[in-house]
Amino acid sequence: MGILGRARLLPRLGLAGVVALASGCTWNGPQTTLVPVSDFARETLRVYGIVTWATVVIAAVVVSVLSWVLLRYRDRPDAPLPPQTRGHALLEIGWTIAPALVLLVIAIPTIHVVFRTQSAPPTGALEVIVRGRQWWWEFAYPAYQLATANELHLPVGRPAVLRLEGPDVIHSFWIPQLGGKRDVVPGRHNHLSFTPDTPGTFLGQCAEFCGTSHANMLLRLVVESPDAFERWVASERAPAVQSQAGPAADGAAAFAASACVGCHTVRGVSRGVVGPDLTHFGRRATVGAGMLPNTVDNVTAWILDPPRIKPGVKMPALGLTEAQARSIAVYLLSLK
Amino acid sequence: MATRALDLPHHDAPAEATGVWSWITTVDHKRIGILYGVSAFAFFLLGGIEALILRLQLARPANTVVGADTFNALFTMHGTTMVFLAIMPFGSAFFNYLVPLMIGARDVAFPRLNALSYWIFLAGGLFLNASFLVGAPPDAGWFGYANLTTRPFSPGLNIDFWLLSLQILGVSSMIAAVNFIVTIINMRPPGMTLMRMPVFVWMTLVVQFLIVLAFPPVTVGLIFLMFDRFFGTLFYDVVAGADLHLWQHLFWIFGHPEVYILILPAFGIVSEVLPTFARKPLFGAPVVIYSGVLIGFFGFSVWSHHMFAAGMGPVADSAFSIATMIIAIPTGVKIFNWLATLWGGRIRGATALHFAVGLIATFTIGGLSGIMHSSPPIDLQQTDSYFVVAHLHYVLIGGSLIGLLAGAYYWWPKITGRLLDERLGRLSFWVIFLAFNLTFFPQHYLGAMGMPRRIYTYAASTGWGTWNLVSTIGAFGIALGILVFAVNAIRSLRVGPRAPADPWDGRTLEWRTSSPPPPHDFDTIPAVYGRDTFWREKHGDARGRKPTPLPPAPDPHGIHLPAPSHWPIVMALGIGTAALGALTHLAIVVLGGLVTLYGAFRFALEHHRAVAHADQTGTVGVDHRKVGVWVFLGSECMLFGTLIATYMAYKGRSVVGPHPHEILNIPLTTLSTFDLLMSSLLMVLALAAAQRDDRRQARFWLFGTAVFGLIFLGFQAYEFTHFVREGLTLQQNLFGSTFFVLTGFHGGHVALGVLWLLTLWILDVRGRLSAVDSVKVEIAGLYWHFVDVVWIAIFTLVYLVP
Amino acid sequence: MSATRPAPPDHADAAGARAHASVATYAKVAVILTLITAMEFSAIYIRQLTPILVPLLLVMSAAKFALVVLFFMHLRYDSRVVSFIFTGSLTLAIVIALALMTLTGQFLLFRR
Repeated sequence: MGILGRARLLPRLGLAGVVALASGCTWNGPQTTLVPVSDFARETLRVYGIVTWATVVIAAVVVSVLSWVLLRYRDRPDAPLPPQTRGHALLEIGWTIAPALVLLVIAIPTIHVVFRTQSAPPTGALEVIVRGRQWWWEFAYPAYQLATANELHLPVGRPAVLRLEGPDVIHSFWIPQLGGKRDVVPGRHNHLSFTPDTPGTFLGQCAEFCGTSHANMLLRLVVESPDAFERWVASERAPAVQSQAGPAADGAAAFAASACVGCHTVRGVSRGVVGPDLTHFGRRATVGAGMLPNTVDNVTAWILDPPRIKPGVKMPALGLTEAQARSIAVYLLSLK
Repeated sequence: MATRALDLPHHDAPAEATGVWSWITTVDHKRIGILYGVSAFAFFLLGGIEALILRLQLARPANTVVGADTFNALFTMHGTTMVFLAIMPFGSAFFNYLVPLMIGARDVAFPRLNALSYWIFLAGGLFLNASFLVGAPPDAGWFGYANLTTRPFSPGLNIDFWLLSLQILGVSSMIAAVNFIVTIINMRPPGMTLMRMPVFVWMTLVVQFLIVLAFPPVTVGLIFLMFDRFFGTLFYDVVAGADLHLWQHLFWIFGHPEVYILILPAFGIVSEVLPTFARKPLFGAPVVIYSGVLIGFFGFSVWSHHMFAAGMGPVADSAFSIATMIIAIPTGVKIFNWLATLWGGRIRGATALHFAVGLIATFTIGGLSGIMHSSPPIDLQQTDSYFVVAHLHYVLIGGSLIGLLAGAYYWWPKITGRLLDERLGRLSFWVIFLAFNLTFFPQHYLGAMGMPRRIYTYAASTGWGTWNLVSTIGAFGIALGILVFAVNAIRSLRVGPRAPADPWDGRTLEWRTSSPPPPHDFDTIPAVYGRDTFWREKHGDARGRKPTPLPPAPDPHGIHLPAPSHWPIVMALGIGTAALGALTHLAIVVLGGLVTLYGAFRFALEHHRAVAHADQTGTVGVDHRKVGVWVFLGSECMLFGTLIATYMAYKGRSVVGPHPHEILNIPLTTLSTFDLLMSSLLMVLALAAAQRDDRRQARFWLFGTAVFGLIFLGFQAYEFTHFVREGLTLQQNLFGSTFFVLTGFHGGHVALGVLWLLTLWILDVRGRLSAVDSVKVEIAGLYWHFVDVVWIAIFTLVYLVP
Repeated sequence: MSATRPAPPDHADAAGARAHASVATYAKVAVILTLITAMEFSAIYIRQLTPILVPLLLVMSAAKFALVVLFFMHLRYDSRVVSFIFTGSLTLAIVIALALMTLTGQFLLFRR
């Protein structure tokens, strides 16, 4: 197929044209589906472009014909009854075959990409276990024996496979620039495999309604150079930072004495499996699964009354004072 | 006007009864159509208000109009209301009012059953909305995916309201569907062959078959959910080995045909409106009919295109993708035929035509975005985002609603006897059409920018704020357009000019009687000269040659107006009460059940000895009741097919025992199978005796059949209690859940059959059954034999197959 | 049909039926149904049949199903319209049931 040669430019042009025409806006937003950063996304965009062109052309033809017909054949006073044409067999055959051919043009790359993007991941792919829970994301790297939450790090250029598991309800993992979404279905083993090819930070969020705070189950992906990734792995595997004195140490004591330890893991301090692992919480950009930037004020507010920020959240308000909450916040942010 | 050539009836007949009670007990298809229409409009306004609140909340990022839980309930109720309480009943309003008129009948096949489906629908709609009154509106989306909807994750009454009302609404739709299928097949006068029927009637027929065949699977899925929530079964319990895809499959096996149920009536309306206002026939009418049939048929093969993100694997994805693309072909063919209808015509710009043309434009866009969705790689970026929200609204508003509004403007004169104001009408069209596009076209872009659906809020940094605001403004524009329509309607009813019988120079039979028609629809049943029969009568064929006037069709029953009845509303009240009881106290369930059962008996026996009802043979030479039962048995094939498929799907997946081979007693069950088979023999002997009026033998064999049925139930009771003692309960494992529900429902069917047979036996004993009633014995027999053959399947697949 | 009394006009037969089963036919069908049931019951105990047991049972039960539908439910003698309605629905039910079983992995027609 000749179109493969211009696969990259033409579909993007086509899509951009349509979208720009329709909206007069950029095609590049934080969660855009139109700017690919992985092989999966590029394959998808290839088909997307073909189909968009086809549909735009068909729409234009239908709307043009319709408009012309309405103008040309509008009623004139005292005109006779029009010829009572009942049908035309050849026309029927023609406009049955034509759509079928267009669909064939769409079907072939579609099936091709379906199988390519769902083929078994290459051996040596970096495996991440993704557990979607109400309403946050857990990421575990079996090869490195580390677990973190809400922020996924991947090295650029290396094939990755996300194994999607769900301990509660159905969620859907979607980082649009990475490609299409895949559901997290409890009891089933879905996976998503791709190779990210552009460094950067990419956003996404849960895409299958999963309860009260479905809207607040955000995702952040950091794609970095292999060296930076190795450094990240090393620091994530390191034990929790221990502050000797000062506000962070006070906060550490407050944390160890409070109910926090029942749900959260800080390696070396506590082992809780209900909430996210907080061992290196201070290195994350956000709190509450992407809801707020990770500042002292925000983390304090979160600790004081989580349901107020994230309706329905499983983490309860623990009845701490503002000072206690702030102290714990300072400690958590020190966990770099 | 074109009525000059024909002397159409002018009615001095006494006016129909008025007053609330006459409407409550009406069985007149026209009044029932109006009831559906008014109720649908009220629910539509409710669903519209829910949408406006949603749009207000989404107009700005991090907005605080409503909180998360309220928002989630609102989008759930908006979807459920619009699909089941607005669009479907709007369609029913038109089916009810017009189908008998269009085929030259005087009413539907089962007028009281028609009233029953309306009152049950109303009960279901009120029950669903009663959830607001107790602060527990459903909140898991209109397609309520398990396991979010199971008790651990949805502990309140919300989902109970949802699943109970959907089942009630399903019953209403199914009853109506059987009625319309029998009407269309069996109540056509001679000359009205199937291919001469208006396309709207054809689309109605396809829709009714879709309802009959698609509702049972979702009913089964809802039954599973209900049992999980109320009785602790494990159908959607992951820890017990359940597959959460099961819910999605069962829902979408219904859900996809459902969207064709929603759009085909609109297609039918457009196929009537365009020819009338272009003043030439529908181009390729047979092809349009076949396309509709094919769409209905293929509609059953595409359901998992709603599940491309669910992880079914590339083979399943590809199969459903190709099937979905195939459906686009007949759909496109219809659109081209509509364009060709307008081409070369003499197009009059009535409001109805505006809406019909609007549908062509917006449905084309919706259909094309649908083609994008048919490709899994693309769909994975679009599903569960605002892109699919745009798609579904383009087809459901741009298609269904706009088509229904075309029908409203087209048939308003016929139904009300008044004309709507054309200027206000065109104004309402343009406001709705432009506002609709303003609301939903930007949502394609929002989806492309990654905005998921069903989110109550979003951050300003996403960049989604501007187009959400535009969309909200558009939504209020739609509301304004609907307001203009409502104003037009009210003015017309109060001071609108009187409408003649045939204001548009129509082509079909509804225009051949007064506006509104008299209670008996036609003074004499019109003769049929071909497709577009009324046009042929007035203007002749393609060369203007008028047909030789035929005498009116013979009227074997005379003008027999069905008598009003209060049993439909009694039964609906019983059903509503039982549903309320499910949420409150078992005693109320029993009360509701008894009221329903009592109502059913009185309903069934109300016209037992009426002479006019003795012979109901119709067009295809079969009694209406027999055709109706066979249609019902078709739906039962789907019901039991789904139950059996689930049993087979879950076979071997039980995490703990007891397992089938450890506990099933094959010799004993072989005996009970033999018993049921022999009961079928007794049943045919009963029928043969009834037909030759041998009352003694008929009584003997009827009673015998019932006894054999009771023996079967006895075997089953023994089996169940034995199993429970051995540790196999509904809640024990997947085998327990699937086994007891499958065989239990079968046993329930047997029990109802026994009740039916004993009723017939008692009637006979009291001398109230004779040879002329043998069709009643026959249909009881059909039901009985069917229950027998289902057991044959269950016996083999559950007991014998290892 | 029994020859004791002439059958009253049966509208259901008038236009749509092609013949009418006799009581003798019904009795024969009942006997065949009993025999097949006995065969089914025996088959599961015969070791040699195990490789073909499932198809065998399916065929036998399909035969019983067909006999009851065609004769007891009179479909053999009735209007083609009701035959079409029933067999169409039954076919759809079977196809969808098979699809459901395949999609949940219980009936793999092809390796995934």
